[in-house]
Amino acid sequence: MAVVNVEKCTGCGNCVPYCTVRAIRVEDKMARIDPGCCTECYVCMREKVCPVGAIEAQPLVGFGEIFKHTLSDPTETLKETGVPGRGTEEAKTNDVTGRFRPGEVGVCIDLGRPGVGTSMRDVEKVAMAVTAAGLEIEGPENSPIGLVLKDRATGRLQEEVLDQYLLSMIVEGKCPVSGLPKVLEALREVEKQIDTVFSLGLVARTDANGHTPVLEILEELGLPRPIRGKVNVGLGRPLAG
Amino acid sequence: MTHSLHRSGSIESLRGDYVWMMYQTRGINDSNIPEKAREIIAVAEACDSENWGDVKVGSVVAVPPEELKKILRKESRVRGVFTSRRQVVKFLRGVKEKDTGLSMIISGLLDEVLPACREAGVEPHTINFSLGVWGKKELLPGDDVMAITTMCGHHMISPDFVRKMADAVRQGRMTPGQAAVKLAKFCPCGIFNPVRAEKLLAEKSPGKAEAGKEAGGTVA
Repeated sequence: MAVVNVEKCTGCGNCVPYCTVRAIRVEDKMARIDPGCCTECYVCMREKVCPVGAIEAQPLVGFGEIFKHTLSDPTETLKETGVPGRGTEEAKTNDVTGRFRPGEVGVCIDLGRPGVGTSMRDVEKVAMAVTAAGLEIEGPENSPIGLVLKDRATGRLQEEVLDQYLLSMIVEGKCPVSGLPKVLEALREVEKQIDTVFSLGLVARTDANGHTPVLEILEELGLPRPIRGKVNVGLGRPLAG
Repeated sequence: MTHSLHRSGSIESLRGDYVWMMYQTRGINDSNIPEKAREIIAVAEACDSENWGDVKVGSVVAVPPEELKKILRKESRVRGVFTSRRQVVKFLRGVKEKDTGLSMIISGLLDEVLPACREAGVEPHTINFSLGVWGKKELLPGDDVMAITTMCGHHMISPDFVRKMADAVRQGRMTPGQAAVKLAKFCPCGIFNPVRAEKLLAEKSPGKAEAGKEAGGTVA
């Protein structure tokens, strides 16, 4: 975990604005890191943020700390999925994996993003709400959320991670396209109950023009037509059926 | 990851911002990755990709490109950024011709990316559509700051860092270009768009409207 070496710190405060979650402050001419707020992203140890190298990484203790650091620092790799960053690939390899099939929609609820961070208790609230609405949350082989689920049937998380604060965490899963309105309705409710933000993405197979019935559902629900998208252009081989 | 999907800013500004990504799938098409990645990088360089990198080793704003190409590994996932639809079309034509068998992704405005696909002769297979930000949006910084922070989707660039760079530009201690490169160095993936950031820093002075908010720290 990130700690300030009191022998080296000069209290210059240069590190303060680089912190991604305002976990560093200077008190009594010494930089201090709030461990309850720090996400262990380690930005403060890059690019000479500290001119004298006073911020140092101490060994992480226990699954909760390791999980927090791995999910908050994109240069790390979650060993269970083998994917750097937050350990998930959603649409990016779907031309090869076929994980999302026609008639299905993937829902990626990116909690804490952009730039706010999230408690795992808020992650659990969202996971439970969408599970109750019919979203099948991904298992541990495809997504880090699957690693910390205590009960896939309810979306409840393991106790040991609930007190962690992460830079972001994706709750992702899929459901039939026909089930999407209920999931979006659940998100509209739970967004009022959390102390953070989430960025929402919907993954769908499309025709050659980028069309999918998901867009019609959004229109029926009065949601704006998405203007941005991440387009997998189908060059991966072997192509999934 | 959805680290390139939710970039924010004005439509006009987003028309100068397209992320490209190369992905292998473990155990299916992950052989000879360094060689294939170098082929894709060659195409991107021929299209004047504004930035590119590999999250494990850094981006070309921080590491010389030739060094990056040498240290690519089986796990490397190369990605970068363009500033025009013309570049996207040329890139897609190039990677289609190379036929590496790797998944290729373009992230950007759909009314630009989808026509670019048609022009290049490739067909969208799957799309991750952005439905924007939900929840307690009052916690977010101003739009002008977020237009820059969201160019590193992993949020390695804090709002206060952007304000610090904007202050340095306003006070004449850095050019917008220098500030953009300094910001870009904190995005290890190489998808931060330094050209767009330079324009935003020059035109809009991000964070000026939030001058009363705590910025924290001293300006280096």
